[in-house]
Amino acid sequence: MTLVEDPDSLFLRSAQNALRSTDGDEALRALGWRDLLGSLEEDPDARLGVLAYFQAQGRELGSSGALGELMAHPYAGLFGEDRAVTATVGRRSARRGNRAIVVGTPGSNGILIDRPGHGISLVSLDTLELRPIGFSDGLALHEIESDLTDLPISLGEAQAVALRERSVQLGRLAIAYEILGAAETALAGAVQHARDRTQFGQPIGHFQAVRHLLASARVDAAAIEALAHLSAGQYPALPPMRDAILKALAGRNGRRICERSLQVLGAMGFTAEHEHHRSHSRVLVLDALLGTSSSLAHHIAVTLRESAGVVPDLNLSVAALRAN
Amino acid sequence: MSMSSLGPPAPAEDAAHADITSFAAAFEAWLLSRPAGVVGASFPQPTTGARMETMRRLMSDLFAEGWGRWGWPEAFGGLGGTILHRAVMWEGLARHGVGGMAAFEHLEVLGPTLLAMGPPEFCAQAFPGFLDGTETWAQGFSEPDAGSDLAALRTRATLDGDVYRISGRKIWTSWARFARWSLVLARTDTVESRHRGVTAFIVDLRSPGVEIRSIAQANGHDELAEVTFDDVVVPGDRLIGSLNGGWAVAMHILSSERGTFAWFRQCFLLQHLQRMLQWGTPEADGLLGDAVLDLASVGALSIDALRVHEHGATLGPRAAFTKLVLCAAEQGLFNWALASDADVIIDPVDERGLDLRAAYLFSRIVTVYGGSQQMQLDTVAKQILQLPA
Repeated sequence: MTLVEDPDSLFLRSAQNALRSTDGDEALRALGWRDLLGSLEEDPDARLGVLAYFQAQGRELGSSGALGELMAHPYAGLFGEDRAVTATVGRRSARRGNRAIVVGTPGSNGILIDRPGHGISLVSLDTLELRPIGFSDGLALHEIESDLTDLPISLGEAQAVALRERSVQLGRLAIAYEILGAAETALAGAVQHARDRTQFGQPIGHFQAVRHLLASARVDAAAIEALAHLSAGQYPALPPMRDAILKALAGRNGRRICERSLQVLGAMGFTAEHEHHRSHSRVLVLDALLGTSSSLAHHIAVTLRESAGVVPDLNLSVAALRAN
Repeated sequence: MSMSSLGPPAPAEDAAHADITSFAAAFEAWLLSRPAGVVGASFPQPTTGARMETMRRLMSDLFAEGWGRWGWPEAFGGLGGTILHRAVMWEGLARHGVGGMAAFEHLEVLGPTLLAMGPPEFCAQAFPGFLDGTETWAQGFSEPDAGSDLAALRTRATLDGDVYRISGRKIWTSWARFARWSLVLARTDTVESRHRGVTAFIVDLRSPGVEIRSIAQANGHDELAEVTFDDVVVPGDRLIGSLNGGWAVAMHILSSERGTFAWFRQCFLLQHLQRMLQWGTPEADGLLGDAVLDLASVGALSIDALRVHEHGATLGPRAAFTKLVLCAAEQGLFNWALASDADVIIDPVDERGLDLRAAYLFSRIVTVYGGSQQMQLDTVAKQILQLPA
């Protein structure tokens, strides 16, 4: 008995179908995604479904507020709110320091703004000044321009710490899945091109140089997929730094997959008309959220090196073997 | 040996350890008692022979205590359980300082195939000797003119009455000079029959006509060997798989060698990483970060491989993923080690330095053995991406 390709899960395929016919927020409703979100902690199947949506969103280049809702989930019910709450997604700007990003089309939601060191503020989105940002990938992103320093604190830092860790873990898991999906679409385009494009009287996929580029990209995707699935199964009991490792791996491998795909597509892949740049941009944009692959990999290295002697346990335990 | 039924059962033989969590907890407790065999195997050894002897002693202890019998069927000297028991045992040994598996890596590469496809009576007799360290096995695949193109192999087995006579030459046969037995892929049909005319034999390396020559390696070790067979007599029932069915045997082995074996190897790589951290330098942090990402990938991919094998399946072409990522992790890890401490190459001064130099140099060749990186990429391109040939 041989196991060849894992077939996509039913939920992943349903989510892709939904995203092909409607926008992301409508797809979330149609899929019952928020019901799954409600049992994220205790039901591994629900968790895998919640996260598979992001892989589908990456594959189909959809846009929704799912990431902010997922990251708000650990704070659910804390503020007695009866309306939908979403969280901003952090990123670090070299020029302007920590920024708070609203992912998806801004609605009238209450929004959680996390300021590490201070705490969490729950505010009305319509009281804030937003500026559209992003890059050609179809994902709606807005940066909060308002000065946040005087926001009233809704949840003090002491209580926020543990919940923030969960929130960031979920955000990084979701982004890893979405990067995987977008990179898979970029690779699928390049593989199809290698079958169709003829040079020297042969499909270019016949040439070993091209085959190895694409095969390397496929290996990079398999690595993201394996670590993402393992981590999804283990959540919320993730080993130390796993969310950073997964997000860094997804960003690094995702970019590599897109670069190799572009190389196979040739100049046509660099045109605005060709679809490649949309998946490629999605990967680049997602890599910038919740820590870039380079900043996270650097953080991981420094943490490990400075803890020499009392090294965090990177070993995959028996628990990991038994997960899922 | 503690196989006698007199006295209380050794804790390792408690049937409750069929449950992996129970097994892991009990084994960990044993490791924490700092058994002499484990401590002995945690020091760098100056020669390949010394490495081998240290590991034989450890395997003998593990067998006598019972730990080394878990994960193998009772009919073959084991205590039952699954590959997860072996995965837990080696992970624990690595975490407690054991530096590597030496020839016992072949337990994981060859063992599952031997028991699944080998002659049951012979295996029932011979396999316990592999488990307790007294009689190890080698794997005779490559030949001077058959490397990546394994189907071009020319070592020939000819039926003569009720025996086969084998003549030919195998090369890069790891740990052959320490081994009692070797699996040998030999041609039983015409050369033109390629992979369809190959059979897997069990050869007693003490037979007349077998000559084993060590190959001195560029890293100072010499576990590789060239093995020649000059009219070596093999009993007619010492086949693994069927006559001319050797290719299926080879593919079964390679699923372990490229898939599950990555689990066992990454356990030791993680220990290398932990031991080397104190010599890490900020300048090399970029390499360290990359290596950690690849190590985590190997862990996740090889857990999948263990689960698939646990249920009696094999990975097929997906084993190439695990193999390729393992290579990246091992090379990345030692790239970082060298970048952190160049003394390792030019002036290794002590046992640690010498050991690290040998390990660094070995990491340069991991993209060659067990199916070269290029052949693995070909497999992915052809069988997974299904690109035009």
